[in-house]
Amino acid sequence: MKGYDYYKPDTIEEAMKMMSTLDGAEYIAGGTDVMVLIKKKALSPQNLISLRNISELSYIDTDNGLRIGSGVTHSRISESDFIKRHYSALFDAVSNIGSVQVRNVGTVGGNICNAAPSADTLCPFLVFDAVVLIAGQKGEYQLAIDDFLLGPNRVALAKGEIVKGINLPALGANSGSAYIKHTRRKAMELPIVGIAARIDIDAKGHPNDWKEAFRRIDDISDMLRLLEKERFVCNDARIAMGVVAPRPIRAKKAESALQGKVISEGLLDEIGRIAASESQPRDTLRGEAWYRREMVHVLTKRAVLMALERMIHADSSNNPKTS
Amino acid sequence: MEDFLYVGKDVPRTAEINKVTGRAVYIDELKRPGMLYGKILYSRYAHARIKSINTEKAKKLPGVKAVITGYDIPDVRVGFMEDQTVLKRDVVRQYRDEVAAVAATSREIAEEALDLIEVEYEELPAIFDPVEAMKPGAPLIHELDGHGRPVKSNVLPLRWTLNVGDVEKARRESAYVVKDSLTTPWINQCCLGTSGCVAEFDSVNNLTFYSQTNVIFGAKQRISRYFAKIGLKDKKIRVINPIVAGSFGTKLDTDIYEFICIQLALKTRRPVKIQFTREEEFRTLPPRQTTRFEIEQGCDKNGMLTFRKAEAILDNGAYTSWGATTPSVMMMPISSLYRVPNVYFNAVCVYTNNIYSQAMRGYGNPQASFAVEVSMDHLAEEAGIDAAEFRMKNRNRPGEVTPMGLKITTCPLDRCITTVKEKIGWDQKRGKKNGRGVGMASLIHVAGGARVYLSDGTGIRIKVDENGHVDVLSGSTDQGQGSQTVLAQIIAETIGFRPEDINIIFGDTALGLWDAGTHASRHTFIAGNAAIRAGEKVKRQILELAVEYVPKLLKSDFRKQKKKDPDFHEPELDFTLIDNPEKLDIKDRMIFAKKAPENPNFRIDVARVLNRALNVGNGESKTVMAEVFWDPPTQMLNSEMKGNWSCTYAFGTTGAEVEVDTETGEVKILKLVAAHDVGRAMNPTLVKGQIYGAAYIGVGFALTEKLQVVEGRVMNPNLRDYKVLTALDDIPVEAVIVEDPDPMGPYGAKGIGEPGLVPTAPAIANAIYDAIGIRFTDLPITPEKVLAAIRAKKQENQQRDA
Repeated sequence: MKGYDYYKPDTIEEAMKMMSTLDGAEYIAGGTDVMVLIKKKALSPQNLISLRNISELSYIDTDNGLRIGSGVTHSRISESDFIKRHYSALFDAVSNIGSVQVRNVGTVGGNICNAAPSADTLCPFLVFDAVVLIAGQKGEYQLAIDDFLLGPNRVALAKGEIVKGINLPALGANSGSAYIKHTRRKAMELPIVGIAARIDIDAKGHPNDWKEAFRRIDDISDMLRLLEKERFVCNDARIAMGVVAPRPIRAKKAESALQGKVISEGLLDEIGRIAASESQPRDTLRGEAWYRREMVHVLTKRAVLMALERMIHADSSNNPKTS
Repeated sequence: MEDFLYVGKDVPRTAEINKVTGRAVYIDELKRPGMLYGKILYSRYAHARIKSINTEKAKKLPGVKAVITGYDIPDVRVGFMEDQTVLKRDVVRQYRDEVAAVAATSREIAEEALDLIEVEYEELPAIFDPVEAMKPGAPLIHELDGHGRPVKSNVLPLRWTLNVGDVEKARRESAYVVKDSLTTPWINQCCLGTSGCVAEFDSVNNLTFYSQTNVIFGAKQRISRYFAKIGLKDKKIRVINPIVAGSFGTKLDTDIYEFICIQLALKTRRPVKIQFTREEEFRTLPPRQTTRFEIEQGCDKNGMLTFRKAEAILDNGAYTSWGATTPSVMMMPISSLYRVPNVYFNAVCVYTNNIYSQAMRGYGNPQASFAVEVSMDHLAEEAGIDAAEFRMKNRNRPGEVTPMGLKITTCPLDRCITTVKEKIGWDQKRGKKNGRGVGMASLIHVAGGARVYLSDGTGIRIKVDENGHVDVLSGSTDQGQGSQTVLAQIIAETIGFRPEDINIIFGDTALGLWDAGTHASRHTFIAGNAAIRAGEKVKRQILELAVEYVPKLLKSDFRKQKKKDPDFHEPELDFTLIDNPEKLDIKDRMIFAKKAPENPNFRIDVARVLNRALNVGNGESKTVMAEVFWDPPTQMLNSEMKGNWSCTYAFGTTGAEVEVDTETGEVKILKLVAAHDVGRAMNPTLVKGQIYGAAYIGVGFALTEKLQVVEGRVMNPNLRDYKVLTALDDIPVEAVIVEDPDPMGPYGAKGIGEPGLVPTAPAIANAIYDAIGIRFTDLPITPEKVLAAIRAKKQENQQRDA
């Protein structure tokens, strides 16, 4: 590991200016990815520009949707009760990244920009239709997360540009989400497969307190049977999959298969199967392709179920219900 | 039960406060004046001829003080088979082969210098599968042996064969016979701290070597033999342990990096430290080897074992360390776990171009017990007997001599099995095959030393100063298991002091007497026995001084009091109560008369007596110290691999309850009950700590851990991809201490360092079988394997039905 100079600008403008003048410069936020690359000699910057002092990157704004500054750490997100209740899939993702130490310094912006195929926050951002806010040479602009991700560790950022934050649209009242990270153990893990799901239910024609009857049900199969019996229809759905393609991707066919349909156990199994057919996993030392595909099937089903459960238990104190 | 003051009590760990407050000096923190940092360049091929090495550029880098290759140091061989050199200059046989080394003023410079060393290789055909390597005509890993004689085969010339009774006849006469093949993976020991050492020569080439070894005298001998070969014969060597952060087998042998560190220190004339990164730890530390077992056993129609036959192939890797001697311990469960009259065992260690192997906690026992205990379940099923009942029928009993010649003294295996049965809910839960299941496995291990060297002895010195403080100079080492605390408890109990009066000094060859090493779960048993004997001598000396000086102290006290208070009347004391050491005793460091324990006049702090005995002013001053060297009355294994090599043996049973997720293949451990025979627990909390830790490592062995070695290269050299369990993987382990004080044990103790690991994996495998009816014989039992097996079984059933 060679030496480097370390800068700590206070504003985005200052940081971008440094980037344009310093030789061999790289941005660094929490450092949980950049420092690993440097130690592996995969990156040998002469100058590191830290984004940690830039206060305009560290906001969490929950007014009409959710806006998170790129410098917000995973720990801070996991401490937000609002995010836990309403954007549960994101809460699931940030609560289980690396270790406590990693979460205390790692940032959401870093996770997005590093764009690992296994990045935990990306599947939730995909299912929430998140928009990336970018500070560029010609001012600020926005890019849908799906367009921002180009490939493994590749994003649509021009040299010197900084991700300022990420915006998540507001959700409907009958919406629930979940992210399942499939791992061998409970900490210090990358997912073998990561699945996020969001589902919105059409409750028109049902009594206002329709959720009450469901909340009394403990057994998940009973819950599904009742949904089917009462003809609850999926209004909108998103499913995203990590580690099964060069970048986290949406299972769009599975989403369509869910759209406008009456929820049932058979349907969930079907969309799991469709999602699996949309995945393109590889054999690696961390997991075999056939197994990953199987897990997409199983976990898609489970993630949608968990999202449904949470939707039903939204507003109640035990939300999100964790399995 | 006897009434002890300190033995058997949860005395808090004495030395650990410095660890949790960050003050303990591990090798990482150790700095010597002028110290340089060493780094090693490893091979880029699994098998290659070195065509050239160019170190010129590296030497020119500012801050670099030395660059050495095999051409700069004497070309002599090391290792117990003498099958490798310190730096390789002609042929590399594994990726971890050391080709060059650098000493520089900082770690970073040393690392940079490595990048500047140019090595040209010519790749040679390599062989990674021991079965392939055994075939005639396979390329030879070594063409010459340690003595320069031509080698004919990749099989090591070590004979590990035990043959007792008539296995073939017994097989013919058995009512039931089963045969299984089992395999276990490469395992990294995952010590909390990485490996490292500091070598420092004085101006006349005497060496002080700071090493993490748990065999300090063995290390000293190995270095001494090396010195004799490199022209440093008779130079003095002192080996000192820093605080060691785990060993688990990795520090049994003197590793090549240690010889390199010594060479760099010699060359630079400055202290040199080599400290591994975690990646180096994974890539270059010798792991537990892979094993393949073929095991066959049978029983009669009543379910009594008739024979057991096992053959094992061990991947030795490219060179030989103590991994090659683990078959000696594998023989123990094969021959002696449960009563089996006819036994055949044979193991071969095979050279390959893989990373060379070493022992790990359990020393072969976990692999062999996995084979024995999975096969036991299989045989019980075949014979139609409940697996717990089958084990009870065949259990070991006190007084028996096993086919290997082990003399079983105490053996509460029956209680271990019944405890597990009860606590795991065996009768209610077994045999449901509904995705949940219970299983069990037992173990036998040495628990009273292990005579693997000609001496299995240990020395201990105890001195007591005039403040009543005790320094104990032990020849043993502590790797973090709490040896200080247990030894302090034993000595406190013996001499009548408090544990906090006692300071234990471990790990310094200059201070301690010889010791065979803190291995084989032997420390508490062997050092405890030596400590009791030395403690008794110390106590005798104190009491003799008390007989002489207590009356004098009392009289001078009375004189002083009279001076202060003219009305003081000297009490009438019966000095015959204290006129003989036999009449005195010590408790809480206070001397008292046995017949008048409450008499305040006779209750005197040992410190006062010792102070008086030292400061006599007439040329007759005395101090208290004693030493004992104790070598247990055991035998080496003879040429037939028989012998009673330990004073006593530990038994134990682990029960597991698991739930299998049949959609994902994940195995969840609902409960793990580990009931272990420990003789008498010296410190129940520490005993449980040993059992918990070992059980966790056992769960990793069963389900998650595997060093991925692909064509000789370690592919998961980090803690992210090597799946050792974390603190968040809360395995619900219930450790149950089963006591049956051993007559030879110190206060009845047996060793417990390794046992907890041994039966864990087979208990889990057997529980999985009970849950889903599939017998897994290849570790680790990953979700992929489970799911694939579930699928295959379903398909098989469908085909059968169709």
